[in-house]
Amino acid sequence: MGEVELSCVAYVKMYLHASLFPHCSVNGLLLSSSPAGADVCITDCVPLLHSHLPLAPITQLALTQVDVWCAQTDQRIVGYYQANASVLDCSPTPSALKIADRISDQCSQAVLLMMDNTKMSVECRVPPIVMYERRDSRWTLKDKQMIMLRQWEETRSIASQLLDSRDRTLLVDFDTHLDDITKDWTNQKLNAKIAELASTANGRL
Amino acid sequence: MTKIKMASVSELYDVTWEEMRDKLRKWREENYRNSEQIVDVGEELINEHASKLGDDIWIIYEQVMIAALDCSRDDLALSCLQELKRQFPDSHRVKRLVGMRLEALERYEDANKLYDSILQDDPTNTAARKRKIAILKAQGKSTEAIRELNEYLEQFVGDLEAWHELSELYINEHDYAKAAFCLEELMMTNPHNHLYCEQYAEVKYTQGGLENLELSRKYFAQALKLNNRNMRALFGLYMSASHIAASPKVSAKVKKDNVKYAAWAATQINRAYQLAGRGTKEAKYSVKAVEEMLESMQIAMS
Repeated sequence: MGEVELSCVAYVKMYLHASLFPHCSVNGLLLSSSPAGADVCITDCVPLLHSHLPLAPITQLALTQVDVWCAQTDQRIVGYYQANASVLDCSPTPSALKIADRISDQCSQAVLLMMDNTKMSVECRVPPIVMYERRDSRWTLKDKQMIMLRQWEETRSIASQLLDSRDRTLLVDFDTHLDDITKDWTNQKLNAKIAELASTANGRL
Repeated sequence: MTKIKMASVSELYDVTWEEMRDKLRKWREENYRNSEQIVDVGEELINEHASKLGDDIWIIYEQVMIAALDCSRDDLALSCLQELKRQFPDSHRVKRLVGMRLEALERYEDANKLYDSILQDDPTNTAARKRKIAILKAQGKSTEAIRELNEYLEQFVGDLEAWHELSELYINEHDYAKAAFCLEELMMTNPHNHLYCEQYAEVKYTQGGLENLELSRKYFAQALKLNNRNMRALFGLYMSASHIAASPKVSAKVKKDNVKYAAWAATQINRAYQLAGRGTKEAKYSVKAVEEMLESMQIAMS
């Protein structure tokens, strides 16, 4: 398997999702807008749930809707992420493995990312992420060096900037959407905000 | 470098201290866990208006202290705690807060000792017993937490919060039959709560099999009857009815009925999204996604 690259937008949203619901387990889907090749390029993510992760109906509903949306917007589901409620636990739960299995049926390169809660501080030097890949029908821990975040410093600073500002509440996961369907789980507003911050950061280079 | 003073809550939202006090009361009564907001409003209320609050100040200290622990604001938690200790030196309720602070500092053994000492004085102190279970949960010992909670419920069978917590623990352990049992208890004592019905239906749907699906459809419908704006229940009704209609085991009559239920739910879902999406560009994608999803599921059903 080749390299896995995580975009700024995808990382920032995962990070905000886990930070906004610190006492809950959260999960979401990783998307790619580039065609399948040797490497996986995760360009976006959709935050899904922050309650009752193991229950089937809402997960099925969300997967179906994200699938349809991806088909409309030329994206593919290429992975799954989760942060557990317990700070010390970053191992994939049975339901995480089940969803990741389903994704890998459609996408052979699918990855499973677990967020490492103990490393979620603002100063962390490497992305607080543990990566699993499917090898011989089992999910195995992948070498951390293999996940790439271009311009980690900038990404980290955008993430903490957003977390400190009121804009963090722009993040909408599928659970929040079901409580108020006028809220947009594709997070167009937040994406624009992240792009804006990223272009200012790049302008300084 | 000059430091810009952060705008206060009262300036930012143009609210009076009475409104802030009432807001905190509402959050307390409804058991909200919006800790950041509680800290924002509460800290300002304590700092600027403490003298006007009368006896309300004590319960506000308690509320803000717990929220502060949630936001890792140990400075604020500690100052609230000191006020409470001074006012109520021998109170079990304040002692429990001391324990919660120890928990936040991950000093679980010390916290446990403290709760044990409360229980020695007063074996019926439910709050201390629940904290001990919360510690087991934080330590990832779910089997022990489940055992303790079951023992607790044998004594305090009317504690709804505990039944709900137990259902969540069982859901996380994928023990859906036992989770369903807890939710049945909750529905019996609280038949008008749409959330219990909806969660019960979700558990039954997850268990799968025709019989469970039929129960899930029934309870999604019941949840909708109690609150017709519950979108989870509306989608749940659609999905469970679609699955039943698609099952080869059901009679023509059952199939026909369920096609009808699913069609009704689909119409309601579409209507809700059209109303919500009116005039906003962002909602365009979700409306289209829902429409297409409903269409594709209908094809699978027929």
